[in-house]
Order: sequence, then C-alpha cells, then structure tokens
Amino acid sequence: MKALIRLAWEGLFLSEAPYAEIRDGSNLVLRGLGLVVLVALAVALVGLVGTALEWATTPDMSDIQQVVLEGIEQMPWYRSMQGAPEFREGFQQQWDMWRRFAPQMFGAPNIATAASRIVLLPLGLALVWFLYGVLAHLSARLLGGQGSLSQTLGCTALAVAPQLLNLVTLLPYVIVGGVVGTWTLLCRYVALKTCHRMTWGRALVATLLPAVVLTVVGMFFVCLGGAAVAVIFGGGMSQ
Amino acid sequence: MKELLQLAWDVLLFRHEAYTQHVARADVLKRGLALLVLVTLLAGVVSFIIGIVGDLRPIGARRQEAEQSIQEFTESLDTMREFFDVPPEIERDVVPSIRAGMGIGFRIEMLETRLPRLVGRLLKGLGAFLSLPFSRLAGWLGYSLWVLLVAKLLKGRATVSQMLGATALYAVPHVLDILGFVTCLGGLLGLVATVWGIAIYVKSVAVANDFSVGKAILATVLPVLVGVALSLVGLLTFVVLALASG
Repeated sequence: MKALIRLAWEGLFLSEAPYAEIRDGSNLVLRGLGLVVLVALAVALVGLVGTALEWATTPDMSDIQQVVLEGIEQMPWYRSMQGAPEFREGFQQQWDMWRRFAPQMFGAPNIATAASRIVLLPLGLALVWFLYGVLAHLSARLLGGQGSLSQTLGCTALAVAPQLLNLVTLLPYVIVGGVVGTWTLLCRYVALKTCHRMTWGRALVATLLPAVVLTVVGMFFVCLGGAAVAVIFGGGMSQ
Repeated sequence: MKELLQLAWDVLLFRHEAYTQHVARADVLKRGLALLVLVTLLAGVVSFIIGIVGDLRPIGARRQEAEQSIQEFTESLDTMREFFDVPPEIERDVVPSIRAGMGIGFRIEMLETRLPRLVGRLLKGLGAFLSLPFSRLAGWLGYSLWVLLVAKLLKGRATVSQMLGATALYAVPHVLDILGFVTCLGGLLGLVATVWGIAIYVKSVAVANDFSVGKAILATVLPVLVGVALSLVGLLTFVVLALASG
C-alpha cells in the first residue's frame, strides 16, 4: 500500500516512470482498485472534517434566511409593491423556492452529504475509473496501442492522483476549483501514452475519445431524466 | 529552499543555463510547482494579514466605514448631476436598497455560530489565502495545455512535465503582487510582473522545446489568437442570427 501511495505521488508530477512501473507490475486491476478506493476514502474523510468545521463556523441556515427576508422587506421596491396581492403571492412562491434551493446553490455546509461521500465517492470514482479505463483501452487499441486491459486499468488508476489535491479541504473555505479535472486529464494522457507506448498525437486522441463518449452519454441521460421529470410534473399539473 | 531561491533569481535575470538545467531535471515539474505555489502565497500574505486584521475590528467600526462609503457615493451623485442627467430613482431607491443589503450582511455576521465567530473569521481568511495557488494553477494549467498542443504541432521536443515545469516559472515575477494593496503602485507593479512573466513564459517554451524565440512566441500567442478569432466568429454568428430573426 505504501508503494502504491508513493507511485500515486510520483504520478501526480506526470513523469512516465511511475506509470511504466505500474505497467510492468502484477495484480494491476486489484492494485488499481485499491488505490482508487484509498484515495477516495482519504478525500471523503478529510472533506467531512472540513465540512464539519465550516458548519460549526456558519450560522444556522434558517436564521440567515430570516435575516434576508426581513432585510428585503425593508427595501423600498418591496414596500412600494407589497400592497398588490398578486405581487405578494408571486413573491411568496419565489421566496419559498429560493429558501429550498439556496443552501445547495450557495454551498451551505451539509454534514450528512459530506458523510455520505465516504461511501459514494469511492463508488463513484471506482465506477468512473473502470468505465474510462475500458473505453480508453478500446480507443488506444483502435489507434495501435500495445497495452493489455489490465495494464490500462492499472495505469489509469494512477491518474486518480490529482484527487490528492482535495486533501487541502481539511481546512474549510479552501476552493480547489477545476485544477483536479484538468490535471486528471493530463495524468490520463501520460498513463495511456506510457501504457500503450503511443506517439503523443495518438495518446491525445485516445485520452479525449472516452471523455467525449462519456460526456455525450451523460448528456443523453440528463436529457432523458429532464424529459421524464417534465412528463411526470406536466402530467401532475394537468390533473 | 536556497536552491529554489537561486533558481528564481536566475530565472528573473533570464540566465539561459538556469532554464536548461531546470528543464533537464527529473523533478522539473515538482520544482516549478513549488516555486509557483510559494510565490503565490508570498504575494498574497500581506493582503491576507490586512484582511484578517480588518475582519477582527469591531462590527460597529466596519458598519460606520460602510455608512461613510454610502455617504461618499451619495455626494458623488451630486457632483455627477452637474455633468449628467442622473435619474432621481438612484438616490430614492438604489441607495436605500444598498443600505438594506449591507444591513443584511452585517446582521448575518452577528448571528451566533457553534464555534466562536473569531475562529470562523480566521478560517475564512485562511481558506481564501490557501485558495490563491489553486486559482493561479487553474489559469496557468488551462492555458499551458493549449500552448503545449501548439508546441507539439510545431515539432516541439518537450514532454508534458518539462513543458509545465518550465512554464510554471512565469509566476516568479508575480512576487511583486505583494504590494498589490498599495494604490497606483500596486497596479503598476502588477503590470510589470505580468509583462515580465510573459517574457519568462516565452523563454521557458523556447528552452523546453528547443525553439527559436520567434517560434516560442508563436506557440505562446496562437491559443489567444485562435480564442479571439473563435469568439469573433461566435459573436458574428449571433449578430447575423439575431438580425435574420428580426
């Protein structure tokens, strides 16, 4: 396990040596899965501590909403319009919706959600790693790659290393942003290039192709979900 | 640390050997990133301390300061009226709304929290301070990928780690941002740091890829030009569609 963590740390800095070491090793799928789960667990546990600290330093959400409502009621535009019954009704509807979704929209700390990530993050990362690994293997082989499926999965497991940057969220209010996603893409490129001994151009296409396929499939399911919701709610409203 | 400082100094002075030796190292990306993170944190440390000290002042003093800003804004409206037709609603509606909005902010800040409010303020300041390197990393990494692609198309020799490790050195002059809080001087030094940083970026691309300066400039600038051209095409398409639909 210690050796795996060392490899993940070195893999983070995009040198080909750790990826080549994984490629030439044994038990690649199991070791890869172990690494993905370990990193995800560490990130989720650290995130839970950070969220708990943020929760403890944030006022209660219902108190904040009460203050905001009282503040809005003091504003001139509200006072000038509050006499109209249709405004009052519309405002109440908007306010109820805002009150329900604002905590999620503004990233209010939620300990239950953070705790659930201890299970969901390892599952999610493992699933994405496996799906991406299989698709990347197919595209790499189509482009003349020489690695086996287990080697691809082993090498792309190292590409989970940028998730280690999220360990900084042990401290609340730190924003890591989009660095992890971009860095992961780079690690995957080095992983596929090393694993399949490809030229840079072919490795680039092999890296991007699965991401494009996953995005298109993901968008299809989002659209499908949206249509289902529209049908359910549309049906409910028309009754 | 001493070695890193020496590298930073040599990079600032464009010493060619420093760049070539840096690119040839196995830990080129580790060193480049270490410098980028250190410089960003150093540049932000004064603003961080000023912010923390400001946040620790009593809420009454901060409220008074905010009231004063509104007062100054209202007075500036009087001056503006001499030159422009300022609608009366601005003073009648907008100013009280700003005042009410600030009231909301101050009241939220006075709400009870589970840990002492002081701890929360310190953690918020620290969080914002530690987020600075990630913000810089995101911008640099996102742009450098495109430069790397152009450099590869121009037959550049750099590996990903060499390219990123070298171009990360662009951050070194941004140590001047430490004085960013000083009026006028801060902005001027920021401009100097940006130009200096771009020059270091071009030099790094040239050394990492074994390019001439002209080719390195092309690799550095082309992503911006393509981005601008695509934006213009998008804008033009939007205008044409808008005109066609009436």
